[in-house]
This record gives sequence, structure tokens and C-alpha cells, in this order.
Amino acid sequence: MAGTSPSSNSSRPAVETRQLGRVYKSRKDVVVALQGVDLSVNQGELFGVLGPNGAGKTTLIKILVTLLLPSSGQAWVDGLDVVTDYRALRHRISMVSGGENAGYGLLRVREQLWLFSQLYGMSSSAARSRIDELLERLGLAEVANRKITGLSSGMRQKMSLVRGLMTDPRVIFLDEPTVALDVGAARDVRTEVRRWMREDPTRTVILTTHYMQEADELCDRVAIVNRGEVIAHGTPQALKQQVDEDVIVDLQLEPGRPLLDALRAVEGVGAASAREEDGIDRFSLLLADDAVLPRVLSTVEGSGRRVTGLIRRQPTLEDAFVKLVGRSLHEEDSAENGA
Amino acid sequence: MTQYSPLRIFFKTVVARAYPRVIATWRQVAWIFFDMAFPIVGSLAMVLVYQGLHAPRQYLGFVVMGGAMLAFWQNVLWSMATQFSWDRGNGTLELYTIAPTTFEAVLLGMAVGSMITTTIRAGVILVAGSLLFGISYASGGALAAIGVFLLTLAALYCLGMLLASLFLFYGREAWHLATALQEPVNFLSGLYFPVRALGSYVAGGASLVPMTLGLDAMRQLLLPGTPVFIPVGLETTIVAIQVPLYAVLAGVALRFLETRARSEGKLVTRWE
Amino acid sequence: MGVAIARGWQGYWAAVRLGWAISSNWTRPLLFIVYSVLRPISMALILAVMYAVITHNSAAARPYLAFLIIGTAFWSFIQEGVSEFATGILEDRGRYHVLKYTYLAPLDFPIFLVGRATSKLASASASVVIVLVVGTFALGLPINALAIDYPLLVVACLLAFVAIMAFSVTLSMVLLAGRDSHGYGEIMAQFLYLFSGAIFPISLLPGPLAWLAALSPLGYWLELCRRAILHGRVYEMFPQLSDGEVLGRLVLAVAGTLVLGYFTYLISDRMARRRGYIDMESNW
Ligand SMILES: Nc1ncnc2c1ncn2[C@@H]1O[C@H](COP(=O)(O)OP(=O)(O)O)[C@@H](O)[C@H]1O
Ligand SMILES: [Mg+2]
Repeated sequence: MAGTSPSSNSSRPAVETRQLGRVYKSRKDVVVALQGVDLSVNQGELFGVLGPNGAGKTTLIKILVTLLLPSSGQAWVDGLDVVTDYRALRHRISMVSGGENAGYGLLRVREQLWLFSQLYGMSSSAARSRIDELLERLGLAEVANRKITGLSSGMRQKMSLVRGLMTDPRVIFLDEPTVALDVGAARDVRTEVRRWMREDPTRTVILTTHYMQEADELCDRVAIVNRGEVIAHGTPQALKQQVDEDVIVDLQLEPGRPLLDALRAVEGVGAASAREEDGIDRFSLLLADDAVLPRVLSTVEGSGRRVTGLIRRQPTLEDAFVKLVGRSLHEEDSAENGA
Repeated sequence: MTQYSPLRIFFKTVVARAYPRVIATWRQVAWIFFDMAFPIVGSLAMVLVYQGLHAPRQYLGFVVMGGAMLAFWQNVLWSMATQFSWDRGNGTLELYTIAPTTFEAVLLGMAVGSMITTTIRAGVILVAGSLLFGISYASGGALAAIGVFLLTLAALYCLGMLLASLFLFYGREAWHLATALQEPVNFLSGLYFPVRALGSYVAGGASLVPMTLGLDAMRQLLLPGTPVFIPVGLETTIVAIQVPLYAVLAGVALRFLETRARSEGKLVTRWE
Repeated sequence: MGVAIARGWQGYWAAVRLGWAISSNWTRPLLFIVYSVLRPISMALILAVMYAVITHNSAAARPYLAFLIIGTAFWSFIQEGVSEFATGILEDRGRYHVLKYTYLAPLDFPIFLVGRATSKLASASASVVIVLVVGTFALGLPINALAIDYPLLVVACLLAFVAIMAFSVTLSMVLLAGRDSHGYGEIMAQFLYLFSGAIFPISLLPGPLAWLAALSPLGYWLELCRRAILHGRVYEMFPQLSDGEVLGRLVLAVAGTLVLGYFTYLISDRMARRRGYIDMESNW
């Protein structure tokens, strides 16, 4: 039967895609935003989609929430085909995007949320108590009667999360829900997402992010997306194992001549990335084995720069990403921001 | 998770979308004053044109009735049709789209929400205008006229939905399209003069806007001596046909646009 | 002193060009047709039909048709200069969030506003010409481009533009106080419509309104436009006044508008700064 996932039983995947692709065509050019994406997300999973800006994360989400049709391949959410069964599917999902600005400025927070609850047919009284409960939990109880034009961006984002959670969806899609939030607000969002999942073990969350740590800490499994393709997926543990063989070293150097390319050229250096923090250059290096380290250090000395710190540490998701993609998320990030 | 029936969702959506409209009215009282003043001033200007021409009193009645009808047409154009592309601008439309509700319900909600202010405005024009210029109506036609009015209103709002689907696709241009439908339609639909004056071809074409025939029928019923364009019965029948016609067309257009928007990714772009 | 004037003049032209650049977005062919052709022509046709229905086009009533059509034609200046202009300024703040930068720029804010208004008036002149051409050829008005008293027309229009700009600059400053003030520009234009004698003689207005209208420069300006274009063949609002006398009243009324506008501007500017209206988050 068209529109039904082949594995349609009680333990069917919450989300499944097969060779999913999406191309944006405009008069000027053709952008391949997504191609050949095969994913299977189980019920009750908190699944992360990790990738730099422009990787295709939002495109994937929009296809899964029925806002966008795929150009190729198929996708099912909660067993329903996103192309043919989209009407039925809309009862069961919701979406929250980071930095979203939807709604009516003159409404108060509580009124705004009630409005959206009605689009799902919720009874007003049930909606109100659910809204109050969620507002309380996210620390928004005091601003419940404030007009939304008077909210900070963090509060606004939390309000959007309440909107997504209140209708009790089977699968919720969070598109960079913590983007541009301060540390506290981001933590509140993550805590609430986890709590909400615990309430019902069949609830599923798909979350996109370009924060490594968020994906590492929060997600049961992660797919790494780059240029529209899933280049790896698995538990954060499993992904980190990809770099388990390597020796990971963090080097702190005093500022000086550029060094990244020279380090990458050293034999036995699998990947290298650099970032600057508080006037100190930090390099992360993936080395084939311990024997590479002396070569690295002599390269540093040769450049006349002084080492202020050297740590050998456990692999992070970031390292896995660097190894897979060949550069760090931030490099791409800053290149795009600078453009 | 409970899945509610489409009918329940439809009515709840109408009420919910009407709500900010009603609230807007009470939270911006200053606006009400100007909102009322706008069409009243417009009608007053037209009445004075007729006075300058030493027109018979009956013509002042044409203007007053036209002005009242204009309130509803503007409501359709600005509160319903263009509002939709405004909702698109800030991402609200995406949330309406992925909810299990329908665009029709959202649009109807907008219309219902501003119906109260619009009705008050039209009423003020009608009452104040009639008293101020001493216009008397034939009371015998009142009941029939109210019937024609309600029918016209229904057709007008269905047309509004059709326009909304058009505007949905044009984003910012919608503003200009709505403007294009203002004065030209005021002219063609005979808002300020009996539409017969335009000749049968022009007036016939203008009859695509339900306001044209509805208004003419109401004038014939309430202001005896109105130059007859088409007999009242036929006018009413045509408007009655326009109601389901525009409703179905609107439904088809909204579905078509939704599919197209999904395939071209247009719904997901904000400002172009 | 000289430097200041030069800088002001430069800024003024920059604002004119900016306004034009923003409007050029609107003056694409389709939009030009909507705003500069369809809209004013429809207004003119509504009046022409109203006229025809009542007078059956009798020869005796022709000067009154000329009165109506020339009035609506020149009305475009107010439609654009007041309504569209105010909308543009509010749009700068509400939608594009750029007004604060303009306000803080070294250029005097009023000069910027006047520059923007100038480009609006310039783009309105197209509709004025179009309606007059339609009036001449479709409605048979005896307008002859060679017989127009251009000096009188230009002087009257320049004076009126000063008043319109003073009004609309002040108005937009006042409107900045509202979060939801788009739409008000259009309404103000409608009010001016009543007082301007554009489509009926101001003497028809009820007592106090007629008195107010006599203080406004708009009626005198339109009267002079009509006389300059169709001397003797157009209905006159002030038959007892000579051209010179009407011009004199126009000068006085413009001066009055300027003084009033100046003080209102000062007050509303101070208020805008005190309450932060310039970069207020508005419900655009
Ligand atoms: N509506 C659109 N039209 C054309 N190109 C688009 C559109 N939306 C996204 N893209 C392009 O598709 C690619 C993926 O975008 P997106 O899914 O938004 O990435 P992400 O969310 O990971 O940052 C980008 O190159 C982007 O420029
Ligand atoms: Mg994105």
C-alpha cells in the first residue's frame, strides 16, 4: 500500500527516509540541498542532525513536516508517507525553529499559545492547563500575560517550544532550537526536551544543530550531514570510536605565524583544526600514534612559536567531524559569516 | 495524542483566528475612530460631488449604500486577502500549514474577526449618512434587501478566499494587487452611481464582483426609481450562484497553491 | 555657512535619489500601471460617470466636468506626497528597521524627509499628466497644451509643494508615535480631500468645515491650476477673486502651514526622541 512504511507495526521507525533528495531550482541556478539520505529513527529516540550552515538540515526538516516535497526518494513519519498521507500526518507532528518570529504581536503569550492549540482541535480548557504547566516548567509563568512583542529572544524561543510540545505530537522537529540563545536558556530548552521525552517513552524528537556539544550530550544517535549528504550516523559513542585509534592532542600556542597548513602537512597527522580563544591559539590534532608527537613539536619549534600547553584528551564528536569532513564546523561557520 | 475531527478543528480554527482580530479592536481604540472615519469621509466627499451637481436626493442614497458596501469590500481585500501574505512574511503561515487545519478556516476566521468592526462601520455610514442627508428608503423592500445583502456578503467573502490564494503566491506584490482592485472596482461595480450607467458590457463584466449585482439589487429594493440594470430576481440568482462557485474555486486554488508551494519551496521562503 | 548649505543640498539630493530608488521598485511597469494609471483614472471616471448621470453631458455643465477632472488629476500630488510618503517612512522603521540610521546620520532629518517627499511628488506628476490626457481625449475637455498659462501653474504648484511637504513631513513625525500607524497616511489624505476643493467647491461644506477649508492652501492651489489650464472654461470656486488675489491667499496659507508645521515638528521630534519612537518596534 502506498504511503505506508514497509515496516508498519508497533515498533515501526518514527522516521524513515529512503534515498531522500531535494533540489531547489531557480531561474539562475540549481541547488542540490539534499541527496541520497537514508535514515531510520526509532520511536523514543532523540535523534540529532548535525551539520554546518547550509548542510541541508532545514530542508530535511521541512520535508518531514510536510512543508516541502522531496525531489526524489521517500520519507515516512510515524508510518505515514510525507507526500501522500500529509493530511493525517499533520495531526501527529509539530515543528519549532530557532529564531522564529511567528504570531501576532498584540497577543499575550498565553493567548498566542491558545490560538495555535486550537488549530489542532484541543479543547480550550485542556489547552490552557497544558500551556500553564509548560510555561511554569520553562520558567515563563511570570510573562504568561505579557505581549509577545515584549519578550526577549530567549523567552520567545521557549514560548515556541511550548507551542511545539503542548499538542502532544508523536514526533517533534526542532530546527536549531538553541541557536543564538544564552547558556541558561539553551540549557532550559534541552532540559525540557529531555523531560518531555521521559513522560512518554514512545515520543520522538528530531533535532538539528550545529553545536557539537549539544548533539553529543543530548542525542541518542546523531547523523552528520555535510553538503546535503549523510556522511556518518550512529550513537555519539560510536561516532567517537571512529577516532578512537587516533591520539588526540590539544596544543595551546602563543600567537604567531600561521601554522595550520604546516601541521596538516606533518606525516601522521590525520586532521587538524584551529581556533582562537582569549588570545591563545588552540590546535586540535588527530595523530596516527604517539610517535607523531615529536615531529609535531619540532614543526612548532621550527616556526618559532612557543607551546604554552599540551593535553592529550578523550575524543569528542568534534574530532569525529573533523576527521570525516576534513575541517572543523567553525571554520566553515566563520568563512560563511565572514562572507 | 488525540486526533480530533476535521469539523471540530475547522470551527475551533475560525474562532481562534478571529480572536486576535477582536482583541486588536479593543487594544487599539484610536484606530477604531480612524477606521470608521475613513469610509465616512470618502462617502461624504461623494455626496458633496452630487450636491455640487444638484442631483436628486435619491442619488445621495446611492452613495450612502455604496459607502456601506465599500466597508465590506475593503474588509475582504485588506483584512482577509492581503493578511494571508502578511502571515506568510513572519512564518505564521508555515505553522498554519503544518497544523491539521485548513486555510479556509484560517481565512474565514480573519473575516469573522473583523466582521464586527466592519459591520459597525457600515452601519454608521448608513445611519449617519441617511439621517444627515435626509434619505428615505422604501420599507417594503427591507426584508428582501437584507436577504440579498447576506447573500452578497457570502459571495464576497468566498471571492476574498479566492483572492487570498492568489495573493498568497505574490507576497509583497499582494499589496499592489489589492490596491489595483480598489478604485477600479469602486468604479466598475457602481459604488457611487447606478451601475446601468456603465452600459451592459462593462456592467456585465463588473458583475464578476458580487458587490455589483448585490448592490444594484438592494438599491432597486430600497430606493424605487433606481435605473434597472437587470431585474432584482435575476441579480439575486446570479449572486446566489456565485457563492458556491467562488467557494469551490477558492478551495481548488488553495489546494493547487499549497501543492505548488510545497514542490517549489515557495512557502518556505520569507521575503523574496 | 556656505559649507553647511552645500552639505544640506548634497544630502537633500541623496534623499531624493534614495526615495526614487526605493520607488523604482514600485514603478516597475505593472506597479506603475496600478498606482499611476489605473488608480487615478478610475477616480476620474467615477466622477465623469456621476457627472454624466446627472447632467446628461449638457453643454452648460461642461465647465463643471473640467473642474472635477483637473481637481482629481492634481490630487495625485497629495495622494503620493502625503499618503504614500507617510507609508514609506513608517515602512522604513517598521519593516526595514533603517529609520534609526537615517535619523542618526549627520544629515538633518527634516532634509532627508523633504528629499524623500520630493521624489514622491516627482513620481506623482506622471499620473497628473495621464489623467489630463485622458480628460482631454476621452472626456473631451478643451485642454490645449500650448495655451496653458505655465508660469502661473508652476508658481502655484511650487508653493503648494512647499505646503504639502511641510504637512507630510510633520505628519510622518507625528505618526511615528503609533505602533500601528500604517494606514493613517491614507486617512489623512482622505481628510485633505474634503478640504481641498478637489471634487466639489469648498462652499458646499457645512459651515465650520468650509471655514477651515478656506484656511488651507489646497483650494487656492487647485483653483489656480484650473485657471492656468482652462481659463474661462472651467467652473471657478472663487469667481469674485482675480488670479492675483487667489495667488495672494495661497501665499498666506502656505506661510501659515509652514509655521504650524514647524512648531508641530519641533514638538513631535522632541517627543520622538524622549520616548524612542524612531527605533520603536512597530507592528508593521
Ligand atoms: N528556498 C530555497 N531556494 C533555493 N535554495 C535554497 C532554499 N532553501 C535552502 N536553499 C539552499 O539549500 C541548501 C541547504 O539549506 P538548508 O536546508 O537551509 O541548510 P541548513 O538548515 O543546514 O543551514 C543551502 O545551500 C541553501 O542555500
Ligand atoms: Mg537551517
